[in-house]
Amino acid sequence: MLLQVLASGLSAGSIYALMALALVITYKTTEVPNFAQGDMAMVSAFIAYMFLTDFQTGFIVAFGAALVFAFLLGVGFEGLVLRRMRNPTHLNLIIMTLGFTLALFGLAGWKWGADQRRFPFPVSASEVVRLGGVSVSTLSVATILIAAVLMVVVFAFFRFTKLGIAMQATQQDPIAARINGVPTRAVVGLTFGISSVIGSVAALLTAPLITLDPTLMWDALLKGFAAAVLGGLNTPVGAVLGGYLLGVIENLFGAYVSVEFKSVVAFLIIVIVLWFRPSGLFGRHHERKV
Amino acid sequence: MTFFAVDGLTMRFGGLTALDNVSFEVDRGMIFSIIGPNGSGKSTAFNCISGIYQPTAGEIHFEGECISGLAPHLIGRRGIARTFQNIELFGTESTIDNLMLGRHQHMKSGLWSGVAMLGSASSAAREEIENRERVEWILELLDLVRVRDRPVGELPYGTQKRVELARALAMEPKLLLVDEPSAGMNADERAEVGVRMRELRGELDMTILLIEHHVQLAIGLADRVLALNFGKPIACGAPEEIRQHPEVIKAYLGDG
Amino acid sequence: MAVFVIVGLGMNVLVGDTGQISLGHAGFLAIGAYTTVLLMTRLGMPFPFALPIAGCVSALFGFLLGLPALRLAGPYLAIATLGFGLAITQIIAHSALFGGHMGLVVPDATLGPFSLSGDVSKYYLIVGVAVVLALGVRNLSVTRVGRAFRAIRDNEIAAATMGVDVAYYKTLSFAVSAALTGVAGGLLALMTGFISPGVFTFTLSLMFLAMVVFGGLGSIPGAILGSIVMGYLNLEMDAFQELPVLGRALEDFSERFMSTVGLPNFGWVVTGMLIVFTILLEPQGLYGLWIRALKAIKRSKSADANSSLPGPGAN
Repeated sequence: MLLQVLASGLSAGSIYALMALALVITYKTTEVPNFAQGDMAMVSAFIAYMFLTDFQTGFIVAFGAALVFAFLLGVGFEGLVLRRMRNPTHLNLIIMTLGFTLALFGLAGWKWGADQRRFPFPVSASEVVRLGGVSVSTLSVATILIAAVLMVVVFAFFRFTKLGIAMQATQQDPIAARINGVPTRAVVGLTFGISSVIGSVAALLTAPLITLDPTLMWDALLKGFAAAVLGGLNTPVGAVLGGYLLGVIENLFGAYVSVEFKSVVAFLIIVIVLWFRPSGLFGRHHERKV
Repeated sequence: MTFFAVDGLTMRFGGLTALDNVSFEVDRGMIFSIIGPNGSGKSTAFNCISGIYQPTAGEIHFEGECISGLAPHLIGRRGIARTFQNIELFGTESTIDNLMLGRHQHMKSGLWSGVAMLGSASSAAREEIENRERVEWILELLDLVRVRDRPVGELPYGTQKRVELARALAMEPKLLLVDEPSAGMNADERAEVGVRMRELRGELDMTILLIEHHVQLAIGLADRVLALNFGKPIACGAPEEIRQHPEVIKAYLGDG
Repeated sequence: MAVFVIVGLGMNVLVGDTGQISLGHAGFLAIGAYTTVLLMTRLGMPFPFALPIAGCVSALFGFLLGLPALRLAGPYLAIATLGFGLAITQIIAHSALFGGHMGLVVPDATLGPFSLSGDVSKYYLIVGVAVVLALGVRNLSVTRVGRAFRAIRDNEIAAATMGVDVAYYKTLSFAVSAALTGVAGGLLALMTGFISPGVFTFTLSLMFLAMVVFGGLGSIPGAILGSIVMGYLNLEMDAFQELPVLGRALEDFSERFMSTVGLPNFGWVVTGMLIVFTILLEPQGLYGLWIRALKAIKRSKSADANSSLPGPGAN
């Protein structure tokens, strides 16, 4: 039983970890917590759905289209909207992402309505594999694997490619990076694009699990933030660990305490962690100088 | 009982020691000046005194009471007011409203009396009017009457500095901490600052603790001077002594 | 719609005046609504008593949320309040006490000898309460407490050194804001006759934020106007196709590119876009536009004065 709970915890945690990673990547570079990340991902999932049902394409084309769309959406939002802000205070940036998320939610609801749809997926949510005494759905296995692979790729990208290193440099010291010839503006746009893609993968993995409707990613967004906060808003590794941890804790709570209030755990975690360690478990604090 | 005393004040941030065992005493009615090159810990000392930082070690005594470690608003309430090196005004508020914030601790109206302010006879209204009249003289003293109702964010730098001072005075403090009042000013403006400080001490019987980067101004104004370098006290005494003190000269001209 | 104005007043106190952020105010609306209804149905309490008590209960939750808010800034606070709003709706939806997903029916209310079952009497009551609360909020903002709020928004550290107990005033701001929103919740329950968790969504919280951003953060008339505009938008969502000229165009567009059944969501698109354009073009919202208009008028007036008066220049 415990292993079962851990397995579902890892599966849910994979999605939270992906969202947390997407959020932290943009936050580290721009100090913007992208509240629109959830709905950006949701719209991308709908794009895949549209390709699958309206255009009758195969999975690869549909998912590819979703990822491309997500990338363009991220880059576009940053370049056309965020960059144009005249007074980019932290509060204004947050409000801007909130406006964007509301508009996206409205557009999705307008185009596809609020009905819940079944999202076709190559791997089934109801088929089960037995691994070492535990029954896990094939979808869960796929989720854990795909998420893990994606995260490894992203980390490798940041560590080992020239572009990734340039992005890290921009995160740590934008001015020094620019002096050294890094095209920081392009890097910021790219950051939003990459986060958006990561978020869309999370959405594509969530949609077959529950049904596809405009509220698809609200829960995942909150959990993603909870995980990022738990790990520390400016540490990608911490955020990912936070995601898995949150998934496991949540499922343990659901199995042994109460299933209905599972999601309240996320909120409680946020509050408790932030009370004791305002910068998260692994984060660092900024002191304002007077 | 010493009016104000700092004893062994030490402030460490991680590996950096910003203040190292600083001690000095200030008598009532004195102008006491702290000088030192940039980064010598002067503003850090002010931040410890006004409660923004918790000192790592040492004590601060005011009128016989130990105030080190108290929250900033409690220190403000005990009669210590300050200005900031970088102007820290309430930018969207008008000059008069900035000063009225200084009256905060002398006023009483809270949630219910504020909400129920019906007409000018209510206690909240009377309090407002009374306190506005009290700060009028400060506006006149510092030549701020013309900008009374303008948002302070729009005012020129020199005017903003006067508003900072006015706001601190509105608190009716017993001890005034002034952080680099002449920063960014030319010689004429600096002279004005000197005159103003003397006025405050003379007419208002104010005790002033002054951080000043410009040595001439500090020495000219002060009754006593403390010189810091890299957080350590290097000399403390009468202005003339400090001016000729070899360590002080070295600190400013040498590696300071 | 007056219900939204009251929420707008509450949001303005917290976000506009004190500079905090809340993405979970729908939670306070829910607390106020459910407390009112439960007091009436379970304890037989008359509406005029239930409503203020609901406001107090909401204030208590506001205070509780304000406590962690003391240590949180910016994004962390936003996330925590987001969690709060979602947690409240979750708890309500899963609790038999609150009627779960099915919601609760609001019993008929009386105000002393007057019955409040007609739409007209409800309307007068809500508008009346809104006016009284607006006056109270305005009074608060020009006195010591209001100044303390704004000082915290502009410069927390300086405010503290001037004797402002920042912790006290921040939590007070949350409590006041929550109380106003809770009262609005009770009035909403009275208005609609039926409450269910599906009403108190994240998007509703976002709309509340939109109201004060669009109206102008920190301005009471701005908040009222912004609330009216967005409230109207929200209430008309099911009837977009009936708009004079725009209605047909929207219907046609929906048929061709979107879905006609989803047309009400256009309201969210508009709300979101209003936020985006407000921040991009005039971050101070409607109030900012008003200020700009006043300045333009003043400038043209003094230009006239300059040209008509001889002698030393004006101002």
